[in-house]
This record gives sequence, structure tokens and C-alpha cells, in this order.
Amino acid sequence: MPEIFERRSRESHGEWVITRLIQTAGYSSIFFVLMILYFLLANGLPVMKDVSLSNLFSTVWYPIEEYYGILPLILGSLVVTLGAALIGVPLGILTAVYISEIAPQWVKEALKPLIEILAGIPSVVLGFLGAIVLSPFLRESLNLPTGLTALTGSILLGAIAIPTIVSISEDALNTVPRAYREAALALGTTRWQTIWGVTVPAARSGILMAIMLGIGRSIGETMTVMMVTGNAPVMPDSLGALFAPIRTMTATIASEMGEVSGGSPHYHVLFFIGIVLFLITLGVNVMASRIAFRQRKRSERVLS
Amino acid sequence: MDKIVVEHLNLRYSDGTESLRDLNLVIPANAITALMGPAGGGKSTFLRALNRLNDLADVVAQSGRVLIDGKDILEPEMDVIALRRKVGMVFSRPLPLPLTIYQNVSYGLEVAGERNREVLDKAVKLALDQAELWDEVHDRLSDPAEALSGGQKQRLCLARALALKPEVILLDEPTSALDPVATAKIESSLSELKKNYTIVIAPHNTQQTARVADWVAFFLQGEMIEFGPSKDIFTRPKDKRTEEYILGRYG
Amino acid sequence: MMKYLLTISLILLLAACGPAGGEETSSSPSIYIENKGSDTLVNLALAWTERYQSMHPEVRLSVTGGGSGTGIAALMNNTVDIANASRKIKQEEIDMATSNGFIPIEFIVARDAIGIIVNHENPVNQLTMQQLADIFTGRIDNWAEVGGNDLQIVRVSRETNSGTHVYFLEVVIRLGSSESMDIFARDTLLLPSSEGIIAEVRDNPHAIGYDGLGYITDEVKVIAIAMDDQSAYILPSVETVNEGSYPIARDLYMYTPGEPPAPVKDYITWILSPAGQELVRELGFVPITP
Ligand SMILES: Nc1ncnc2c1ncn2[C@@H]1O[C@H](COP(=O)(O)OP(=O)(O)O)[C@@H](O)[C@H]1O
Ligand SMILES: [Mg+2]
Repeated sequence: MPEIFERRSRESHGEWVITRLIQTAGYSSIFFVLMILYFLLANGLPVMKDVSLSNLFSTVWYPIEEYYGILPLILGSLVVTLGAALIGVPLGILTAVYISEIAPQWVKEALKPLIEILAGIPSVVLGFLGAIVLSPFLRESLNLPTGLTALTGSILLGAIAIPTIVSISEDALNTVPRAYREAALALGTTRWQTIWGVTVPAARSGILMAIMLGIGRSIGETMTVMMVTGNAPVMPDSLGALFAPIRTMTATIASEMGEVSGGSPHYHVLFFIGIVLFLITLGVNVMASRIAFRQRKRSERVLS
Repeated sequence: MDKIVVEHLNLRYSDGTESLRDLNLVIPANAITALMGPAGGGKSTFLRALNRLNDLADVVAQSGRVLIDGKDILEPEMDVIALRRKVGMVFSRPLPLPLTIYQNVSYGLEVAGERNREVLDKAVKLALDQAELWDEVHDRLSDPAEALSGGQKQRLCLARALALKPEVILLDEPTSALDPVATAKIESSLSELKKNYTIVIAPHNTQQTARVADWVAFFLQGEMIEFGPSKDIFTRPKDKRTEEYILGRYG
Repeated sequence: MMKYLLTISLILLLAACGPAGGEETSSSPSIYIENKGSDTLVNLALAWTERYQSMHPEVRLSVTGGGSGTGIAALMNNTVDIANASRKIKQEEIDMATSNGFIPIEFIVARDAIGIIVNHENPVNQLTMQQLADIFTGRIDNWAEVGGNDLQIVRVSRETNSGTHVYFLEVVIRLGSSESMDIFARDTLLLPSSEGIIAEVRDNPHAIGYDGLGYITDEVKVIAIAMDDQSAYILPSVETVNEGSYPIARDLYMYTPGEPPAPVKDYITWILSPAGQELVRELGFVPITP
């Protein structure tokens, strides 16, 4: 009797250790995020002391002469990302629909690994291709002064977002019950009417989440953008800005952080840009997870 | 009147199952014909042959004829879209489309090209009436269909099929997911509907067959063993296997 | 877990032994030379240091950047052996040093010249400094205004963090005037690498760019530059840079606090020798001809 008791207590002791370890691992990621946030705030907020607000929110970025206007950088990132969304979202969703609803089995099996390969291409390689092939092509075919434009960045970022959009959308489409499709078909709808009227709307939340995550991925992308957008801090003022060079927040941080001296106003401004970027990405991800949450609740109801 | 005539219908799936074997059967109009038999007997397969929903499945071999109003619907050149409007179907899972109550009923008409609001409104009301659902939902037609109870959802699925003004209604175990009260409502709608429609149902148990059927076909492992008026099948079945099934010898 | 700990302690052990072990094998350096200043010069200074130390293990050189001003300040306080500068020392800095008891000695160790490049299809062959300034500030926006085709001008520059960028700003855009507040036109492309600049200019007939002479290849066309419209247009070359006729070039300096002691003198003499100047060419600067 005492022996059994002893063994059980030893077991639960081991379990206690394991539980604690897992718990620590779980909390550590929260801890890291908080540390990063603290680090960003500690280094970025002093900018309020160094740089006047009218300078910080002006339209000229030329840090070596103390012009710290971050608006062209924020808008630059938004223009590229918007362009990437305009390209990546329709293509991604169409590809997902094709794979999940239309393609014969063997095409499916060929396409899925191909898209995974696309996801695995390092962004430097994509940027290199963009600079060597895509940018001259765009300059000549669209008769632009230079091929290093927001559009070039958007196309490449679209390509980066597509694998995310495709794989998550495809999962969402696959979880649409077969019964939905059959019900629609039994009502005399064609295959296309079924896809657009029933299957895609039924997978709506999953597809929205795919879009958000794809966009989140492209906002944060740096290397590719730095190689193909020309990095000129022009203030984008219309949709025409898509065809002109721009400078993104990520490219600015990446190319300037290495050289600035710690504690200088320029250094604090770069961290402040980091905060802005962090908040935007956080916003996008929160939106994505809220959509995911809503979707989960609904599917629970459907299955019950 | 003979609405559907089935001659030598054979059907085999890609996994080799002979789901229907030499099926010969005449389904009368304006009556409820019930397909009775243990699971795996081929009832669903047969129902899906009647609106060509089997086109989606892995069917490797199909032969024979299915005549609806004298026309063979298995012909490759058959317009399946038109066929499915004429032959409506209700499934066992009460699963409305992810749309509003109204849209669920009007959906079939809208994809068929009907744009006139008044026509749609009228058709939706009529269909919901026929499915005995109008009184419960008329004040919340633009709520998501998801908000309805299980029984209401299934009646909505019936209404959505009825909105297309079909001639034949197929029902595959339509009450298997419903409670007795909801089941009774569906059954009462059906006995009203049979005055104007040809109804083919795979009930989800023998009791239901006895309650609703005018005619009964007994399916066993892909074969139709016996066909006759409900009364005869239940009181003096010709085949021993039918009798055993009714007495509860099969699962 | 044990294995993991073991690896860590091994690494720590090796780290602790590393330098000690190193000192035992090579003859330990007995001479330290501190070298500080210009960021433009820092890579070149590091290259010299590396090469020189491999030939003279008894010498240990340390190189730090921080800018020409930092280097000269350290020189005046007599805390470095060599100050690197991309500008000439100012008179008040010399006075300050003199009052501290020594006279700074100047060595020109290399030259930095910037070539202006365009696409081979571009018919423009020469520009004045004023035209160049107007192009890069955006006052001139079409090649037709400087005798070229009717094409919009696309300006290409290094990123703002490069020394070349800052030098170009001072000497070309502001034409050496300290009052000028002109900056690059805002749509100037800022490319992270020399390769990027060469590639864009090579492919794009609209483009004009600049880069250190050593980075420029045959794939692009180099433009002749005149100080003003009265002067001759000069193409950059080792000769024109060394004789001072090419306008966008500057000397790079080393200063020592007073006459250098023998080891420092030896080092600078080596820098000025053909072996040292070969590295100058390799790093994209213009070697001085003795
Ligand atoms: N899509 C399908 N693919 C392959 N086999 C199927 C398919 N649907 C049904 N079957 C097979 O056909 C037979 C008849 O099934 P079914 O028509 O569903 O019978 P019931 O509805 O009477 O239970 C069963 O053996 C079943 O496994
Ligand atoms: Mg069945």
C-alpha cells in the first residue's frame, strides 16, 4: 500500500515538471512579444523628444539632413501592399477554387507541391529575378521611365502572398460540406453557380483569413521590396503612384539601421517606424484571428 | 398514371460495388412511393439516379433506362439542369445554404434567371406555405437560415425544392436528424403535397414507411425484392425476405 | 540535457582558451597602432590593416570609424596614432594641436573620384557641374534640356548611408557651398548596391547615376564633366584625378600627431607603395601616382 502510494506521487511529480516546462514554453512566447514591444517602445518613443511632430508627420524623408517625415514611407508600404493584394488575392482565390473544386486529381497533385515551392523561394532570389527580369519588362511594356516601381514590388509581394492565400483558402473550401454543393446542384445550378453562389460564400471566413495572413506576410516583407521599388521616398498621391518608385517602411529600416549611431534622433525615428509597422501587422493579424474565431464558432454550430 | 418507369437499371461504383442490379419498377404519379430496406441496399443510389446527382460520384458503369414522362433521363444529351429543376430533392441533413431564409427559397429561381421581385416574393411565400413553414418565419425572412431549429431547417430545404415547382420530389431519409414533432410536421406536409406531386422517399425506418407510403419498394443489397401497395407489403408480403425485414430480422 | 550542457561548457572553454592559445603560437605583437576617423576610409583602412598585419605579425593595428571629425578630434587630444580624414584639416584644428605641443603631419593616401554614368544609348556625352546639380535636384527633368533625347530623367543614387552619397550631396548638389540647402530630388532612386546602380543605368536609357570610379564597368557610359561652361570637359581617370582637373574628386588623408615614430612611418610608407595602392584600386578608389 505505501509502495503504490509512493509510485503514484513520483509519477505526478514527473507530470508536474512536464506541465511546468510546457507552461514556461507557452508563456515565454508571450514574454518575447512583450520584450520586443518594450524594446520598440523604449527606443522609438524618445523620438517625441528629439523630433517635432510637424517634422515627423511631414512628407519629406531625408534623414541625413534631419528631414524625418514618415508619411511617404507609411503610404509607400500601403501602396505596395494594396497592389500586392489586388494581384495576389484574386489569383490566390482563383487558384484555390481551381485546385479544390475543378482540377482533376492529377493536376491537384501537381499544383499543390508547386505552390509550396513558390512559398519556399527565398525573397532575395525573388527580388533578384524582379530586378533583372520583371523590372526591365515592365519599363518596356508599360513605357515607364523606370521599372523600379511600386507595381514591381506589388507583383512580387503578390507572388509571396499567393501560397499563403491558396493553401488557407483551399483548406477553407475543403471544409465546406459536400452536402452544400449537392444541395445547390440538386436545385439545378451549374457548377460555376454552385462555386460562386454557395461554396465560396460558405468558405468566406476562411478565405478572408487567408487574405489577411497573406497581406500580413507582404507588409513585413523587406528584401524583395528593397531590390525592386527604387526606394525613393516619394509621397504617393494617386493611384498613379503604383507606376512610380516608392520607399517602404521595411526597406527604410533595413537599409538605414546598420549605419545610424545609437541614441541619435534618426535611430529613434527608425524605431518609431518599427512601432508603426508592428501596430499595422498586429492589426491585420488580430483581424485575421477574429475572423478565424467567428468561423470556428459557426462551424461548431453547424456540426452540432 | 405512370410518372417514372425504370427498366433494367444497373449501376456500379468504382470500388466495384454493384449498388443497383437489374432494377425494374414503375412509380405512379400523385402518390408516395417509399424505398424500404436495410442500409446499403441502394436506396440513396437509386434516388440520386433519378436526378442524375450520381454524375458527381465515381460511377463506372451504368446501364438501363429511366423514363420520366416517357423520356430517358440517363441519355448523355439530357439537360441535367432542367431535369434537376423538375426533380427536386431533400437530403437527410437539414442543411440550408449559408444565406437568409428568403434567399434559400428564392435561390433556385434566381439562378434559373428569375429577377422579378414580385414573382420571387410570391413563389417564396407559396413554397414556404406548402412546407408549412410560412407562419413561423414570415416576419424574419431576412434572418440567416442558420438561426432556425433543425425541423424548421428541414422544412426550409423542402420549401427550397418546392419553389422551383418540380413535378417529382425525392426525399432521402429527410427526418433522420429530427425529433418526433418535427418529423410529424414533415410527414403531414408530404401527405398534402402528394395530391400534386410524385413523391419518392427513403424513410428512415419501417414505422415511417408504414405511416406515409402508398407504394413500397423493398431494396436489399442492390436488388429490388418486392414492389406493391403499402397495405399488401405490410400485411401479406410475397417474399420471405420482405417479411423478415418487416418483422425486424435485419439491422 | 547533459549533452547540451557539455557542449555549452566546451564552447565556453574554447572561448576562454582561444586568444591565449593564439598568442603562444604566433610571435606576440609588441607594437600597437591606433587608427580612427573617416567612414569613407574605414573599409580601405581595414584592408590595409589586414594585409599589413599578415606581413608584420609584430604589429597590431586597430581601426575604428566615426567620421573625419571624430578622428581629427582624437588627433588633437593625442589619443590616436593615425587619424583618417576625407577632408583637409582646418586651420583652427592645426592651431589647437599646436597648442597641445605638436604639429599634425599630413599624408595623402588615396583619392576618391566619382564617375557620372548614363546608358550607352544616351547621346549626351558631357555636362557641367551646374547642369549636374540641376539634374539631381530635379530642376532639370528632361534629357532634351541638356542636349539629349526627349526622355524623362531617372536619377539613380546610392542609399543615404553611403559616404559617396554624402560627398555627392556636398560637392555636386550643393556645389561645395555650405549655405546651400538643396537636396536630391525626391524621386531619386536610392539603391542599396553599386551593382544595382550599374544594372539600372545599363538597362535604362532614362537613367543617370554616379558611383565610385572603381565600381564603374564598361556596361555604362561615363560622362565628361566641366567645372563651368568656360572650362574643358574632363573624363575621370587616374591621371585627371591625380592632376586635379576632374572636378568630382577628393583626396583622402591620414594625419599623425607630429613626426610619426618608426613603426607608424613604416606602415604609411607601405600604404603609399605600389602594394598599398593596389588595394586602393581594388576597393574602388583612385590610387595616387607617386
Ligand atoms: N459515392 C459512392 N461511391 C462508392 N460506393 C458507394 C457510393 N455511394 C454508395 N455506395 C455504395 O453503394 C451501395 C448502396 O449504397 P446506398 O445507395 O447509399 O444505400 P442505402 O441508401 O440504401 O443505404 C453501398 O454498398 C455503398 O457502399
Ligand atoms: Mg442512404
